[in-house]
Amino acid sequence: MAQPVVVGRLLALSAAVVAPTVFGAAGLAAAPSRTPVQAAPARPPEKIYRSTCGYCHGAHVGPIIRGRSLPPEFVSQMVRTGPNAMPAFRPTEISDAELTSLAQWINKSKADPKEFGN
Amino acid sequence: MSEVSRRDIIRGGALGAAAFAATQAVASPLDGTRILPAHLDAGRFAAAVKELRAIVGNEWVFADPASTLPYNKSFTPDPRGEHIPSGAVAPASVEQIQAILKVANTYKLPLWTVSTGKNMGYGCATPASTGQMILDLKRMNRIIEIDAELGTALVEPGVTYQDLHDYIAEHNLPYWIDVPTVGPIVSPLGNTLERGVGYTPYGDHFFMQCGMEVVLADGTIVRTGMGSTKNPSAWQAFKWGYGPYIDGIFTQSNFGVVTKLGFWLMPKPPAFKPFMVRHSEMADVSKIVDAMRPFRMNNLIPNVVLMMGAAYQLAMFHRRAEIWDKPESVPDDVIRDFAKKKGLGMWNTYFALYGTDEIIAAVEPIVRSAFVASGGEVLTEKEMHGNPWFEHHKNLMSGQLTLEEKGIMRWRGGGMVCFAPVAPAKGIETSQQTALAKQILGKYGLDYNVAYAIGGRELHHLIFVLYDKSDAAEEKKADDCMREMVVTFGERGWASYRTGVNTMDLVAKQYGQANRDLNARLKQALDPNHILSPGKQGIA
Repeated sequence: MAQPVVVGRLLALSAAVVAPTVFGAAGLAAAPSRTPVQAAPARPPEKIYRSTCGYCHGAHVGPIIRGRSLPPEFVSQMVRTGPNAMPAFRPTEISDAELTSLAQWINKSKADPKEFGN
Repeated sequence: MSEVSRRDIIRGGALGAAAFAATQAVASPLDGTRILPAHLDAGRFAAAVKELRAIVGNEWVFADPASTLPYNKSFTPDPRGEHIPSGAVAPASVEQIQAILKVANTYKLPLWTVSTGKNMGYGCATPASTGQMILDLKRMNRIIEIDAELGTALVEPGVTYQDLHDYIAEHNLPYWIDVPTVGPIVSPLGNTLERGVGYTPYGDHFFMQCGMEVVLADGTIVRTGMGSTKNPSAWQAFKWGYGPYIDGIFTQSNFGVVTKLGFWLMPKPPAFKPFMVRHSEMADVSKIVDAMRPFRMNNLIPNVVLMMGAAYQLAMFHRRAEIWDKPESVPDDVIRDFAKKKGLGMWNTYFALYGTDEIIAAVEPIVRSAFVASGGEVLTEKEMHGNPWFEHHKNLMSGQLTLEEKGIMRWRGGGMVCFAPVAPAKGIETSQQTALAKQILGKYGLDYNVAYAIGGRELHHLIFVLYDKSDAAEEKKADDCMREMVVTFGERGWASYRTGVNTMDLVAKQYGQANRDLNARLKQALDPNHILSPGKQGIA
C-alpha cells in the first residue's frame, strides 16, 4: 500500500499542533488554555504579490500598482480596508510583517511590461 | 469615493496616494459608539476579550475599531448597519477552538465562523447580525494529507485553492483541483460547506466531499464517515460511514465548527477540449437549456456548465460608464451591440469534453449538432483563441486559478450581492425567471448581470446585483431590490440555494416552519447557548 503524502506546510507538524485531542461527551474537559504554535514563516513579497495582488492588479481587474512609487502607508491601508471593488485582507491572511515588506516592495518595484490595465 | 477617482489617485502615484490616505485616516465605520455583542455590556465584553487573549495571544484578538476594520469589509448592501462585527479571534489549533468555545459559553459571546472570509457575493466575513465576534480560522492552514494513489485530500479551514494548486504542482501529482470563480483566495473547506460549485466534472463540491472533523459547541470533537473508527483507513475514501449520514447538517449551518474536510481530486484527463456556444438573443435562453439538459443528465457533457449573460461577461473587463450613461437599466440592444464587438453573444455557454482524443472525437459531433440545431454557433479554440472571455472559461473548466470575475464589482462602484434562485433545467422556467428578474431589476434601474450554472437537472440562476456602495441611496435600492426578488421568486417556487447575510432569515422562511423548527431543535440540542453563528441560514 502506498504511503500517503503527508505535508507540513505553513505550520510545522509538531505533535502539539497535529494531534487533535478527542474529548468525549464530557464536553469541555481539560482543554489546554494555550497551545504552543510555531509562527508561520513570513512569505517574501514577490510570492504574495504573485499569489494574491497580481491576479487583479495589472491583470485588467485592478489598477496597475507597480512602478508608481505608491507610498507604503497607502498600500497598507488599501490592503487592510479594501476600498471599492477590492477585498480587505486581514493579518491572518497577510501578517503585519509581510504587509510591511510587501508595501515597501510595491513602492520600489518597477513597472512590469507584461502587466496590463490602467 | 468612486472607483474612477481612486484610480485617478493611483495613476497620480505617490502624491495622489498620500493625499488620499490622509482623507481616509479616520474613516472607520466602527468609529463612534463601540459595537458590542448583543446582551453583553462593555465590561463583560472586555473580560471575555481578556480570556481570549490568554488563549491565542494578544496579536490574534482584534477588538478595537482599527484592527477590526478588515472584518467589516463587505460588498453586500447593509443600509441599516446590521452586519458589523464586534471583533475577531483567530485560533491556530483545535485545542484553541475548544478553549475559545468554553469562554464563549461562559459569556454567551456569539462567534461567527469563517474560513478565509472571502464569501464575496454573500457578505465576506461579516455576520448575520451586528455584534458577533468573528471566529477567524485562516491561521489553521495545513494541507494535512494528500493520498497520491487515491486522489484524496484532507485540509484545514485556512487552506486556499492556491495552496492546494501549488502543492499539487510542486509534487507533480496527476490531479486537477476544481475552483470557484475566486479560487486563489478562498478555501475548499469554506466553499464546500457553503455548497458552492466549480466548473470541472468535480464541480459539485459537497458531492465530492468525504469526511470531516467538527468541534461542537461544548468542545466535543466529532469525525464523520469512517473517521471515528479505530485507525481509520478509508476516511477520505468512503463517504457514508455507518448509521445516519450527518455531514449535511454541518453545511450551510451553525451546528459546529468544521476543522478538517476531506474531498476528492479529479484525475488529470489525457485530453480536454473547451467549447463556447454563442447565441445572439436574450430569448434564446430557453432553447439553450433544453439543448443542454439531456447532455447533463446522461453525462456526455460532464462538467458544471456556465451559461453567461452578455452583461455579466462585459462587466468582468468593462465598466458600465463605457457602455451606458443613463440611470435606468442598460437596454438589451446596447448590451448586444457592445458584446458583439467583443466576440460575445447575449448568451455564451461554456462546456468542455474530457477524456481521450478518441472519446472527445466521438462525443463532439453529437453535442455540436444539438447546439447548432438550437441556433447557436459552436466555437472552439480554433476560432476563439486569445478572446479573454473564452480563455477565462477555459481556465475555469480545467481547474486553473483566476480572479477575473471579481472585475464585475467595478461595474457601478464596489457593490455586489448575489441572488441565486434554483430552477429545474427546463427552458420555459428559465425564460420566465429571466423575464421576472429583468422586470424587478428594471424597476430599480439595476442591470441584468447574470449567469446560469447548469447542474444535472437544475440550474442556479446567479443574479448579481451590482451597485455603487459609496452611494447610500443606491445601497438602499440594491437591498430593496434583493429582498423583492427573494420574495417574488419564492412565491413562484424558485427559492435560493444560498444567500447573503442580509437575507438569510428571509430565505429560511420560504423553506417552511416545520423545517425551521427542526433546525431550531437541532440547534438547541447542539448549541444551547446559541454561541455559534446565530442567524446563519436563519437558524437563531
